[in-house]
Amino acid sequence: MKTLEFRIKIESAQRTLVLAESFTLQVPGINILLGESGIGKTLIAQAIYGLLDPQDLNIEMNNQPYSAYLRSSFVHTIRENGFFVFQEPSSHFNPMLTLAEQINEGVLGKAKNETEIFKALWPAKKAAAPQEILRIYPKPYRPSGGEKQRLLLTMAFKKISLTSRRKERVFIFDEPTGNLDDAYRNRVLQLLLKYYRKKPFTILLITHDYSIIGELFRTHGDLMPAIFLRELKRGSAALVQQKEFTVQTYINWINKLQAKNPKSVQPKIVLDLDSGFKTIGKTFRLYRDSALRRQTALRIRSGELVYLKAPSGAGKTTLAKVVLGLIQTQELNLRLCGTKLSAHTPLKYWQRNIWGKKAAMVFQHADETLDRQSNVLQVFKGLPLTTKNPQALLLSTLRELFEKPPDEMFLKQKVGLLSGGQKQKLNILRALLLDVEFLILDEPLNGLDFASIDRVLNLLQQKRRQQCAILLISHNEEIFNQLVIEEQVYYLESL
Amino acid sequence: MVQKIKRNPKTHFEKLSRLYSNKDSWWLAVWLIVLAGVWLWDSLFLNAPALRQIETGFVNTFFIAVLVVAFSLLLSWLWLNGLFLLESADNNAGYWLLTFLMNLIRSIPQIIGILLAYVFLTHLITTGVVRSSLAILILMALSISLFVFPELTDLLLERVAYFRRLDFYNAMQVCGISEKRIINFNILWKNSRVHILNKLIAVAGMAIFLQCSVDFIISVGLSRQVSSLDLPVSLGSLLATIDSKQDILALGYSLSHPGYTGHLFFEHLQGLSVAFALVFSLLSLYKIANGFARRRRL
Repeated sequence: MKTLEFRIKIESAQRTLVLAESFTLQVPGINILLGESGIGKTLIAQAIYGLLDPQDLNIEMNNQPYSAYLRSSFVHTIRENGFFVFQEPSSHFNPMLTLAEQINEGVLGKAKNETEIFKALWPAKKAAAPQEILRIYPKPYRPSGGEKQRLLLTMAFKKISLTSRRKERVFIFDEPTGNLDDAYRNRVLQLLLKYYRKKPFTILLITHDYSIIGELFRTHGDLMPAIFLRELKRGSAALVQQKEFTVQTYINWINKLQAKNPKSVQPKIVLDLDSGFKTIGKTFRLYRDSALRRQTALRIRSGELVYLKAPSGAGKTTLAKVVLGLIQTQELNLRLCGTKLSAHTPLKYWQRNIWGKKAAMVFQHADETLDRQSNVLQVFKGLPLTTKNPQALLLSTLRELFEKPPDEMFLKQKVGLLSGGQKQKLNILRALLLDVEFLILDEPLNGLDFASIDRVLNLLQQKRRQQCAILLISHNEEIFNQLVIEEQVYYLESL
Repeated sequence: MVQKIKRNPKTHFEKLSRLYSNKDSWWLAVWLIVLAGVWLWDSLFLNAPALRQIETGFVNTFFIAVLVVAFSLLLSWLWLNGLFLLESADNNAGYWLLTFLMNLIRSIPQIIGILLAYVFLTHLITTGVVRSSLAILILMALSISLFVFPELTDLLLERVAYFRRLDFYNAMQVCGISEKRIINFNILWKNSRVHILNKLIAVAGMAIFLQCSVDFIISVGLSRQVSSLDLPVSLGSLLATIDSKQDILALGYSLSHPGYTGHLFFEHLQGLSVAFALVFSLLSLYKIANGFARRRRL
């Protein structure tokens, strides 16, 4: 095993995007790169794999111009023997070719492990699913994000098998499980590490899903000596540093998380939603058990943290939108903050009495839910805050959520220029500042680094102590399984 | 070897090449310089009364165009907010009435609509209700705006509809931010002002074209009674005068008699200057709008 070291500097016409004085890769080895989104993980990986355009950006690799790096034998070899799994599978697929044509394009058609891959990535009861979607075009038929991601991974696994006899194999996986729930994520890891065990190669796995560490520790403990966990942290300005991250740090932290309800004198029911409502042509049912036998109403009391679980695409976000009156529904029996609401409740009522006053929601994908053209302060303008000094409240909460106290420059910074993690924090904070009885959080930990996850969880606990009821949707099962008591976990099914 | 970040241009050549690469700024500069050149030439070789007429016509035309831009912006903003106010108040009758009115305006061809508005304006002038030139110019601009603003309104509605489909809109609403603020501040001001500015450049071009067309039609083709009214001089009405028509005919004559071309620059300046200023302004505005759209990646 050897260490490859890179000095990477990437600049746009206006500013330095990333400067990594020393970025290392263990070759061969399982390099896991953690860190908040938008810090530059993808950019660094693309630079190493030779995917950036020197015409668009000014790039230095190991103090050499990028054009020289692109001509080097190292880049030719890793591109010949490796694969780059892009974060967004939609952008990888060509809408003019069927999925079958694409996963067998060029040299990939020679791989003989397709059936093995499908068996590993799809559960036995859905064994026919990949064959069905292979016949279609990515657009307009649109397989789900999870399906596209698994097909993209199929291409990478084919390449791994095809190049098994070669040396210097570098496979980069950029958020390869971002669209998958924990069960599918574990299947991907299982297969990837099976190939690694057969013949080690270099893996650079980029993720901000820290719970992946727990899975590696529990299920693939034998590979721990070959696993290198590093967190990319921001230094000053564009400078980023790789910091070692130990499994024990995560395990100790997760073990400390405790599931308990805050003391409440007389908890009142904040949300009561009957199972069986219909929307977008589907019936949504709620259960108390993962086997989906005990159908029940979703009932949340003040100060409770309720965790809603379901596979990807089952409609968790749809349910959240139904609860907050954003989607038209049939057979809805909903009582929210003491008010009976129905599909006929006028929009004006929601606007005047519910939204921001009694209930609020944090949407997933901060990038799409914040106004990228506004500055940080403007994100919070217009909120119906009850405090006499909203500015002071904002600053004190910002201080709790950010590592460095936000200065005047940060407050005037355009949202579009912030990192993904910073945007997510603002997204969460916008709802947390409100004095509401009920909050829905849809994937609140997306894109956050480890320290920020801890801070967000602390803020959620504070909110609960203020008797705010919280409905949580998250794929970070390991974290929330620790934080939520079993009686407050619900399962969703849509038929 | 460290590759340097491109900095702001320092030499005149760099500044010029930066200007040339920004097509909107380039065409704005070209437009102003060329018009200044035409004015300088005219002031040297055109008789004083004709030059004054051209200057007045030019100022009036562009004053009206600027007013049309302002009125269109105001009308479409009021219309949009009115629509959303009625929608959120569940006032279906008001909402449909406003939509019907907009469709009614849209159903009338712009040039016919403006001609009809001019008939009304003529009535106001002949009955002595409107007397000052400024009031007439404002009313002319209002007449044009009334038939141009639906295009801008469509853009505003499209922008709002686009953002309403995104989580962006719902995410702000469920946090209690008012729809009024989301539409006016976040969508229109923060995320659409470049689009709106681009459309306004096109509206300015449209206003000049429509105004000159209508003035030309009134002055030359419809009725002498109307043209005898004291409507302010515009580039369109100047183009319809007998002198201008002869000047433009001379342009055609020079095509078959190339030796006559030189006379165009000294003896036929009134008509040709007006026609050139009009056509070149429209072309420049088109180029400015296109360059702006490209630069801002619209």
